[in-house]
Amino acid sequence: METKNKGDKNQPPGEHGKVEEKGIMNEAVKVENLTKFYGKLCAVDHINFKVEKGEIFGFLGPNGAGKTTTVRMLTGISIPTEGIAEIMGYDIQKQSVEAKELMGIVPDISNVYNDLSAWDNLTFTGKLYSMSKLDRENRARELLELFDLYQRRNEKVETYSRGMKRRICIAMALINRSSILFLDEPTSGLDVQSVLAIRNMIRKLNEDGLTIFLTTHNMEEASQMCDRVAIINMGKIVAIDSPEKLKRTIESLQSIEVAFEKITPTISDDLKGLPNVNDVIKQGDKFRLFTDDPSGILVELWDYVTTNDLKIITLNTQGPSLGDVFVKLTGIKPDERSVEKRGGMRRGMGGRGM
Amino acid sequence: MMSSRRLLREAKVAWAIGVKDIRIYYASPPSLMFGILFPFSMFLSFVIGRNMPFAHAIPILIAQTLFFASSSIGPITIPLERRMQTFDRFLSAPVSLWTVLLGKTFAGFIYGIGISVIPIVIGAVFFGSQVSDPLALVVGMILSAFAFAAMGIMFASLPGQGPGQIMMPFNFVRIPLLFISGVFIPIKDLPYWGQTASMFSPLTHTIELVRAGLGGENFFGPLINVSVLTIYFTVFVFVGIRFHIINQKRE
Repeated sequence: METKNKGDKNQPPGEHGKVEEKGIMNEAVKVENLTKFYGKLCAVDHINFKVEKGEIFGFLGPNGAGKTTTVRMLTGISIPTEGIAEIMGYDIQKQSVEAKELMGIVPDISNVYNDLSAWDNLTFTGKLYSMSKLDRENRARELLELFDLYQRRNEKVETYSRGMKRRICIAMALINRSSILFLDEPTSGLDVQSVLAIRNMIRKLNEDGLTIFLTTHNMEEASQMCDRVAIINMGKIVAIDSPEKLKRTIESLQSIEVAFEKITPTISDDLKGLPNVNDVIKQGDKFRLFTDDPSGILVELWDYVTTNDLKIITLNTQGPSLGDVFVKLTGIKPDERSVEKRGGMRRGMGGRGM
Repeated sequence: MMSSRRLLREAKVAWAIGVKDIRIYYASPPSLMFGILFPFSMFLSFVIGRNMPFAHAIPILIAQTLFFASSSIGPITIPLERRMQTFDRFLSAPVSLWTVLLGKTFAGFIYGIGISVIPIVIGAVFFGSQVSDPLALVVGMILSAFAFAAMGIMFASLPGQGPGQIMMPFNFVRIPLLFISGVFIPIKDLPYWGQTASMFSPLTHTIELVRAGLGGENFFGPLINVSVLTIYFTVFVFVGIRFHIINQKRE
């Protein structure tokens, strides 16, 4: 459980400094036995974890695993059935005002006021945080410029694209100069350009000292962005560690990806028949051969290609992806994940170098 | 105990929430229908064809308008905001639930007062209505607008109810209140059990105070009117808060 400690750059400003007095400086989030029941259904089951200040913490899991429920409890929107959650040392139930002053929230849908302009959305949010008129207007201008929306600040948000609404939503979460930002599926359903822009924005915010709690079911996103990830399934956390360490826990899932110029009807069965090949999965025009011995299999593959007069056009050796870790820990098969949710989940499946 | 600085801060946030609701929801079709068309059309269907001087009916129109307009904003804004998840913004903001609901109540209050000015002006200009007790009229309108706005908030906060499921049960409560509040039959003409029932209707006390303000009779007396409306306002806000806490536990 190694974490990247970014030191003091995430120090809460101004009045938030009183957190320091409590001597609980390294934990941005501390969760103990957090539980949520919906009637008899246990959505979140006694989970425990900590998020260090300054890290990007990924909360990964399939739909219905309990991710959003957890975020809703951490942000005070929902009341836990049992357990404690602390934000920057403040109990979200007992010291909710203090805790909420330090956080920004980007929910899974862009909950902006469509009938208000971008400017009014931001300044209204500033009012909810009791910011002075000058402060909230300066901050609104700063954020709209940062998110490249200043020119359209007076237009009603209903005229904005989905990506622009998402950016406004993130800007609203940052209006109070929060110390921790909760992002629930921030890039889900967006076009590639918006996804890249938002990911860059999140990285930049983190570099500036903001702690990020990122909920996602996109494994590529989690792998690329997070210092640590927690994998939650059926309300329980099944693993917490850095993406690379999690991948190392299943080294046996090494594989070789190969693409041939021409695909014959028997090629999949032929490849399965090769010694040292544990399994073969066809992925588009490529085949992924799972093995315990990647170097050994290269020789056998070369013999097969030569014998059958085939031509290889791509050949990659691959370690296990975070997606593989996810599959192993949750028991959810790739196909099931694709069916569960289009978009982010499917993108996550194809992630390379995760 | 909340410090005065914190109270001021919370009051400013409540005001901001109310103003935001006014900007977004006042001109929305449900607000216009339930807040304006509904009370006016009900009033006209009640008055037309009856042998009642229009000037005598003005207090009823004012009270009815206050009742429907003030109580309609909450059941429109809260379910909509819950569906759009913008209500979560309030729950995750560093303010108390009281502040949020008072802000919402404030929006209903302003709407009710604003719309009910119309029948006052109509009465004064076209039917010669005169304000003989301004204090009774103003206090009655202010207390009633707050109480009815809070009533709407309370119904809007019913656990597990979606936007389409609020107005129907709410109207099942609002419309029968018209029958026991001295709208159709003066309270003094009601049987004893009717008078007792009318005592528990907040609308009765609105009509009484407005009628007193315009020089009419008052059956229960202003002190009881003011007390009952104040109690109802407090109870409605308190129950609304409890409903929201139940929602937060369930959702």
